[in-house]
Amino acid sequence: MGFRTHAQFVARTVLVKNNNVDEGMRVINRIMSKEGLFERYRLTRFYEKPYQTRRRINYEKAKAIYNEDMNRKIQFVMRKNRHDPWVGCA
Amino acid sequence: MLRGAVARTVCMAQASARTFPQRFSAETSPGHDIAAKLWGGRCLEGVRGLHVGLVSCKAEGRKEMLASMPRRDEGTEGEGTIAIDSNIRGSDGSFPDENTPDLLFDGVRFADLPIIHAKFSKNNTLLTLTDSKGVAEMFRSCGIEGFKNTRKGTNIAAQATAISLAVRAINKGVRNVRVAVKGLGPGRMSAVKGLTMGGLNVVSITDCTPIMFTNSPRPRKAKKL
Repeated sequence: MGFRTHAQFVARTVLVKNNNVDEGMRVINRIMSKEGLFERYRLTRFYEKPYQTRRRINYEKAKAIYNEDMNRKIQFVMRKNRHDPWVGCA
Repeated sequence: MLRGAVARTVCMAQASARTFPQRFSAETSPGHDIAAKLWGGRCLEGVRGLHVGLVSCKAEGRKEMLASMPRRDEGTEGEGTIAIDSNIRGSDGSFPDENTPDLLFDGVRFADLPIIHAKFSKNNTLLTLTDSKGVAEMFRSCGIEGFKNTRKGTNIAAQATAISLAVRAINKGVRNVRVAVKGLGPGRMSAVKGLTMGGLNVVSITDCTPIMFTNSPRPRKAKKL
């Protein structure tokens, strides 16, 4: 048996109640995808060449900036109580 | 002089508190003096208690104003605050703690329960029943179950395999099991579901997916598309 970094059946474990495995799987899947573990697993299954890493990182950066701005825009359009009700009408 | 002014204010406050509710209740809502109470309260508020300084009054007003304002833009999401999963916060015993290995299931300790190791690959599902030490006792896979070629890599095949393993395990006298799932495959959800459909009692689900972080050996060459 090899060396284990985490205690078995303590790390990444959910206890199932009343044999409700669907709920248990959902919890563990949600937590793991939220922590980015599945993404990490997917990325390390095959070697990613440096040019691919660069391209991916650049794409992610651009996407994050776009999403942030777009979210802010949507929030702005949707909000009801504004600091300045007459924006652009000085 | 100051004392005189204070006395006058107090008198006025009392007077207004006394007169307002009476007049109001008489006019509008006899027998129902909620509105009157509200009125009286507002009058006293307007006068401002003598022990409350002007500064603190201002602070109150500012606080109210701020509460009514929309939340300040925080810039990048997650920069200032961290979203905590509500499920994690109120764990209510769905996650293991230091007492979990000693929990009893039909008189067997959690740490001594048999384990079902489930490996989900893209094209197959492998289920192995082992004892708590990891010694294999039973093995089923979609291929053994009679699904061949691409049909192996489906959730239906995984479920059928799981049911067949569960039935065999029950015949052997196994009831409560821990499940260790490994990998992301089509049968990931349905196989664990199939174990319960076959009659096994799943006590815990553990994820054993090998995830590489730093200092990992170089993975295999990527597939050509």
